[in-house]
Amino acid sequence: MSLPAVAKKDLQDTVRSRAMVVLVVLFSALVSVMAYAVRPAGEGQGFETEILLSFFVGPILVTTLVPLVAVVIGYNAVSGERESGSLKLLLSLPHSRADVVFGKVIGRAAALSLAIAVGFLVPAVVLIAIPVAFNPGAFLGYTVFAMILGCVFVSIAVGCSAAASTQRQALIGGIGIYFVFVLLWGTLTGQLLGAFESVIDPLPVSLIQVQTFLEVANPNTGIQELANAFLADQLFAGETRNQQISASAMLVFWALAPPLVGLLKFDRDDL
Amino acid sequence: MTAIELHGVTKQFADVTAVDDLDLAVEEGEIYGFLGPNGAGKSTTINMVLDLVRPTTGNVTVLGRDATADSVEIRRRTGVLPEGFSVYNRLSGRKHVEFAIESKGIDAEPETLLERVGLSAEAWDRKAGGYSKGMCQRLALAMALAGEPELLILDEPSSGLDPAGAKEMREIVRAEADRGATVFFSSHVLGQVEAVCDRVGILRDGELVAEDSIEGLRDAVGGEETLDIETAGVDEDALESVRALDGVSQVVRVEGSDRIRVNCANDVKTRVIATLEDAGVGVSDFHTEEASLEDLFLAYTEGDSASPRVGDDDEETAGGPADGDDAEEADGTDETDPTATAEEVDR
Repeated sequence: MSLPAVAKKDLQDTVRSRAMVVLVVLFSALVSVMAYAVRPAGEGQGFETEILLSFFVGPILVTTLVPLVAVVIGYNAVSGERESGSLKLLLSLPHSRADVVFGKVIGRAAALSLAIAVGFLVPAVVLIAIPVAFNPGAFLGYTVFAMILGCVFVSIAVGCSAAASTQRQALIGGIGIYFVFVLLWGTLTGQLLGAFESVIDPLPVSLIQVQTFLEVANPNTGIQELANAFLADQLFAGETRNQQISASAMLVFWALAPPLVGLLKFDRDDL
Repeated sequence: MTAIELHGVTKQFADVTAVDDLDLAVEEGEIYGFLGPNGAGKSTTINMVLDLVRPTTGNVTVLGRDATADSVEIRRRTGVLPEGFSVYNRLSGRKHVEFAIESKGIDAEPETLLERVGLSAEAWDRKAGGYSKGMCQRLALAMALAGEPELLILDEPSSGLDPAGAKEMREIVRAEADRGATVFFSSHVLGQVEAVCDRVGILRDGELVAEDSIEGLRDAVGGEETLDIETAGVDEDALESVRALDGVSQVVRVEGSDRIRVNCANDVKTRVIATLEDAGVGVSDFHTEEASLEDLFLAYTEGDSASPRVGDDDEETAGGPADGDDAEEADGTDETDPTATAEEVDR
């Protein structure tokens, strides 16, 4: 009863935010421009939707912009309400604090999914208009992967927001999330591996295996792994099957663990 | 059953004790005014009742249930007007009330509620971000009233309202009590409390320093009133019949004149006048001298050092600092609002 009410209210609130609209327009424009810019000069041979997505839109736009948008709409989900005082209004109604945190995860994830759907709509039109071998199935499927990525990052950001006592902490947390997952993951995990090499050595796993796991443990890499497999018609099949399973498991982990940890802290706080 | 019960409740923030070993009981069906200067710990107490803040020690029971463990169930049966809240700027007033209705899982008309709290129809579909403080207060009250709650908890309900708005607020409080709801509301403004409450409790530095009806409190402070009556001529029989009234402690005729002075309780003033008139005494003029509520309040909250101040206004409505910062609230250094109500000397 309560969770859907909070989620619905939050969705209505989020889609009305100007930042949201601006980011969607920006994202949509960038994907469109990219689709147009990398179109083949002459013959359309060899240029396909799959290539556009897995080599250009994916690595350059989706894995950088989707987490950014998710963090922007998620980092203040709980802490912002706490600071402004609207949380008092929310908790004057019969909602538990878990309803608040998960309602917000769902509401904002829904808002972002909607935004991503809209954001991919215009580029689709561009792709149909320019003469390429447009594959709507691949395009639609890829949109879903982008949405999943967005939802996972919303979860991480909302969890961080629930744990934060102030808006300032939440902002630092949000920036931290972006840096760790988007910009510094490889460096950080590399450092980590180097430091623990002697620990891993005697274990019955190879360094490469651990490294691969750490790679797909990042939702960003994980989603690319899955999306590329999907575009290559190899979803949960082929050589990378095990990696894909790890990646999926880690996506579920990142979707659930941060809000739960955030709730643990939020539930104990004096508001 | 008691609607709200606090037992030995203490709330310790980092460096201050906001509430200190507080015992409080609000009976079902009554209107209880929770008084105290800013910083006395009123909001902290209410936040503990609502489970926004957990007590360091002690028990809080609301509607017979544990305030922390059964908070959601309690709030399902309680309407809350919080203090220091803000609205969702991007959502309309109507959306707010719809959200409250949906959250409580009830069937109600948003329009009826919005109308009842006096929010004008043209504002219903406007974004609440553009509302004034008073409008936000009305909107939150509409959300609180949704679903005819058994218990209403109103934290500084009149802040931001103009005198007419504060009067409407009191009328709603009375109507809700008539319906059978228990009303618990806090205020640092005495006028509101006196007008509607069955009982008041005065909080000072996190401790309940007094709890009684307004009349009871007045008596306790020795605040009996003196009625000064100018007559067209008075006889001993008439004075006797006044003396015979309940609540009259002394009747004196001022030497060499037709003026009499009657010491009596607040609520028998009209009966004194009526008795005189029944006895055939012409009353040409009268006024009362009393310990004003302001004096009463200060006597409890500031001890003897208080210098009585007399306000010139019946309603104080601007509202005090609406900060919800508990730590700050708890330091008790805020001054009582100097414009707070004093009872009028002439009635």
